[in-house]
Amino acid sequence: MHWPLNSSATDSMENSNKKTGLYIHIPFCVKKCNYCAFLSFPADESPRAEYTDALINEIRMRSAGQEKIRLDTVYIGGGTPSVLDVSQLSRIIKAVRQYYDVAPEAEITLEANPGTLGKKDVVTRTKLIAYRSMGINRLSMGVQSMDNDRLHFMGRIHTPGDVARDMRLAREMGFDNINLDLIFSVPGENTEDALDDARRIIGLGPEHISCYSLQMEEGTPFYEMAERGDITEVPDEEDRETYHRICDLLKEAGYGHYEISNFALTGKRSQHNSLYWNMDDYIGCGLGASGFVYGTRYRNTADMKEYIDHYSILFDDEKCEDGGSTPYEEVHRNSPFDNISEAVFTGLRRAEGISFEDALRAYGIGYPGMDASEKFWMIFSDAETEARSYAENGFLIIDDTGLRLTEKGIDISNGIMSLFV
Amino acid sequence: MSYLDYIRNFSIIAHIDHGKSTLADRLIEKTGLVQARDMKEQYLDNMDIERERGITIKLQTTRLQYKANDGQEYILNLIDTPGHVDFNYEVSRSLAACDGAVLVVDATQGVEAQTLGNVYLALDEDLEILPVLNKMDLDSARPDDARAEIEDIIGLDASEAPEISAKTGMGIDEMLEKLVEVIPPPQGDPDGKLKALIFDSYYDSYKGVIIYTRIFDGRVKKGDMIRMMNTGKNYEVTEVGYCIPGTVPAEELKAGEVGYICGSIKQVADARVGDTITLAADPADAPLKGYKKAQSMVYCGIFPAEGEKYENVKDALEKLQVNDAAFNFEPENSAALGYGFRCGFLGLLHMDVITERLAREFDLDVITTLPSVVYKVVMKDGRVLDIQNPSNLPNPIEIAHIEEPIVKADIMTPNEYVGSIMSLCQNRRGNMIHMEYLTKTRVQLHYEIPLNEVIYDFFDALKSRTRGYASLDYEFLRYQPAKLVKLDILLNREQIDALSTIVPEEEAMAKGRGICEKLKDIIPRHQFEVPIQAAIGQKIIARETVRAYRKDVLAKCYGGDVSRKKKLLEKQKAGKKRMRQFGTVTVPQEAFTEVLKLDDGR
Repeated sequence: MHWPLNSSATDSMENSNKKTGLYIHIPFCVKKCNYCAFLSFPADESPRAEYTDALINEIRMRSAGQEKIRLDTVYIGGGTPSVLDVSQLSRIIKAVRQYYDVAPEAEITLEANPGTLGKKDVVTRTKLIAYRSMGINRLSMGVQSMDNDRLHFMGRIHTPGDVARDMRLAREMGFDNINLDLIFSVPGENTEDALDDARRIIGLGPEHISCYSLQMEEGTPFYEMAERGDITEVPDEEDRETYHRICDLLKEAGYGHYEISNFALTGKRSQHNSLYWNMDDYIGCGLGASGFVYGTRYRNTADMKEYIDHYSILFDDEKCEDGGSTPYEEVHRNSPFDNISEAVFTGLRRAEGISFEDALRAYGIGYPGMDASEKFWMIFSDAETEARSYAENGFLIIDDTGLRLTEKGIDISNGIMSLFV
Repeated sequence: MSYLDYIRNFSIIAHIDHGKSTLADRLIEKTGLVQARDMKEQYLDNMDIERERGITIKLQTTRLQYKANDGQEYILNLIDTPGHVDFNYEVSRSLAACDGAVLVVDATQGVEAQTLGNVYLALDEDLEILPVLNKMDLDSARPDDARAEIEDIIGLDASEAPEISAKTGMGIDEMLEKLVEVIPPPQGDPDGKLKALIFDSYYDSYKGVIIYTRIFDGRVKKGDMIRMMNTGKNYEVTEVGYCIPGTVPAEELKAGEVGYICGSIKQVADARVGDTITLAADPADAPLKGYKKAQSMVYCGIFPAEGEKYENVKDALEKLQVNDAAFNFEPENSAALGYGFRCGFLGLLHMDVITERLAREFDLDVITTLPSVVYKVVMKDGRVLDIQNPSNLPNPIEIAHIEEPIVKADIMTPNEYVGSIMSLCQNRRGNMIHMEYLTKTRVQLHYEIPLNEVIYDFFDALKSRTRGYASLDYEFLRYQPAKLVKLDILLNREQIDALSTIVPEEEAMAKGRGICEKLKDIIPRHQFEVPIQAAIGQKIIARETVRAYRKDVLAKCYGGDVSRKKKLLEKQKAGKKRMRQFGTVTVPQEAFTEVLKLDDGR
């Protein structure tokens, strides 16, 4: 059984010219969820305002150069970006438009969690209209479950009713590209429960669905509870059963399974997330944000004070460049091998897998007189035997053009990907 | 008065951790040889591993100068002794080079098994013993009890034993005075025929082997042709001198003195501990007594790990051997692990030290297989084979019987732990010879126990059952017939020779089950099910299964954080590098040594 390659799974492969995206991190939320290991925390009005100012300075700093950088996507994620005031969001997007060349057809996504858009319909409508007018054309909602008890258990602040209402209002206000997140394998949840959730989410009719199995991340309340033995992780076997059944369900409902955790109706794949899997450029702004530009990967500091201290001063135009003091947690200039290795393991997350041509393009060095497959296996000679054994056992497809995981290969993809790092 | 009257040759003996090396440090500091600021802790323990483990393996010798209260300048030759039962022979040779010994007893612990063991070794060499009570700076010190124990258990008069703290320096001056008074000066005839005892040697890449020696009679200088009386080899002396510490050349060494000799000797095996040096032109009649060739008691295989070169391992082993006469190796070929080496050691600690040095000093990645003792296999045709590699055990049909080495183990313990020690020893096929109360609360247990049972984790088990209070001393006793069988391990139905062991027949079932369970925990999940089986001959006696893995996937690559994901994958890959491929099964390298550590306590 192969990972389904239906009609929608091939509609993004023609792009070989690099795209560029901008990721903006908003590390605030109303309340931290029990499973959440993201860089996010509840905050009052004044730190949010302070952060917005700093963020705008960083957005500007990263734009410095000869010409305006053209952006194909903008993604405002978090945390819960919708906890920012409309005016704050508006200033951020204005800054983006001022310092960058945002393509007219650019995908601009906002993560907007149910329960943060206002309790009264009139408020919600106003907010949504404001988002539309800023140019936001895609919403991503952290629904996670449509079961009230489970939502409560996870520490979410919303109810299934909130989701239905926000969805209805978003449609009313003209949003025609909406992603809903689903989390499965929550402790105590069985496969049938998860399928119920999936059905109800499908019933809401989003264009895009992301499905994640819950991971017990260190430092989260769930992790602590599991350590104490208060809750038990869903067994691997059951988790995988659930995953594959959800995949089937979504496929039947017309969603193309284009990446390990992502499903979309035709033409509605996440353009921004695709950048990550295609070795495209993305600029990351905000606390702890990651970026990949000029062949260099970076991650901003996760220390709020350090971040604010650095970016709260308004740069004058002369100094508006990275003077070397930018607070990074990590900066790494990729080698050709880093590039091909990342191209392979991120590419393997996609249904199409990774073509030898694309992998070698990331590598950037030619081997004249050899075909792509030969060159590829020359670079990964130490991985070939094991890769072929995965192929023989039905976890991986290796042909003349490239590699891709099978559906059962997804389950053990780390082992396969680690061959190429 | 002769120059001999102003020399004192002595060792410090103690149970492990009683502060021997710390005391040595303090003496060196007191006598001004090494500035306090240059002192690393435990100056004499010059190998990192020793310093980390707080034990001394390799001997060090130091010449100290001390001005006593009588106004005389004395030369104090401190001959350090290794602090582990594996090195008893070296201890005995070091002691043979001395005229007296400082017996360090931890005033918070009292007399321990090795205290006693070392005292007996010292008494065998007719040494004058000066007991001292150490760790007097601690609140928990019980000097009166310790004194009573020294008198009751060892039979030494401890009434005047100096009370010291090697750590703080308290009482060191009094101890040195006492030392000069109690320990007799050496005797010997500087004009007699040369007789010099080798009590240690090490390899120096510039000077060749440096021999540490005590001259009993005669004298030796640069240019002399010397002869090793037991090995019969001759060498020309290129340098003699004193160890202050380090090597400081001198004109000559003469009777009663302690120092070093160099003679372009290529490896320490040519200057064996215990051998007697004489002059080739005018040899002594007979060597000094007590020479023994170091004998390996424990063997294991050392193989290059995945990606490590055979040649590199060979070079490193050769370098280690040059410096360690007790360590030997020969090439070995394993079906599972490929080309490697069978290595012989004095004991388990010696083995640990060598394998750790391979990793640390030579940066090598090696796999060590289960340690094994040497079995005497008596064949039906009358031949007797020495087998230390389970894979080489002949077909059982041709074997008349197998004999295994038995050691005499002396365990000293507070009486409340006697019960749990007895059950431990019983589990390990120990046979109690007798038990005695040394004091009202301290007991010594005498056991005869197969060496095979001691080498794995006996010491750890003993320590954990007695909260560290029991102490152990053991020595080889004899070979004794036993009902033994070879236990094979099969992974995915393939026999892995490097996991075979020789075990008592009656325990084969339990051992087989234990090993399978352990392997089940150690072996990671594969793409397919991996059966683990234990077998005697064709008969499967235990089985476990490592289930195929179901899930190894990261749901999300959030916020484009490719670097973090990559690190996870790199970690996973690095983990796999420490694994070994057997056919289709991947086994972590620690499996080979961990597998038999089946703690009795569980």
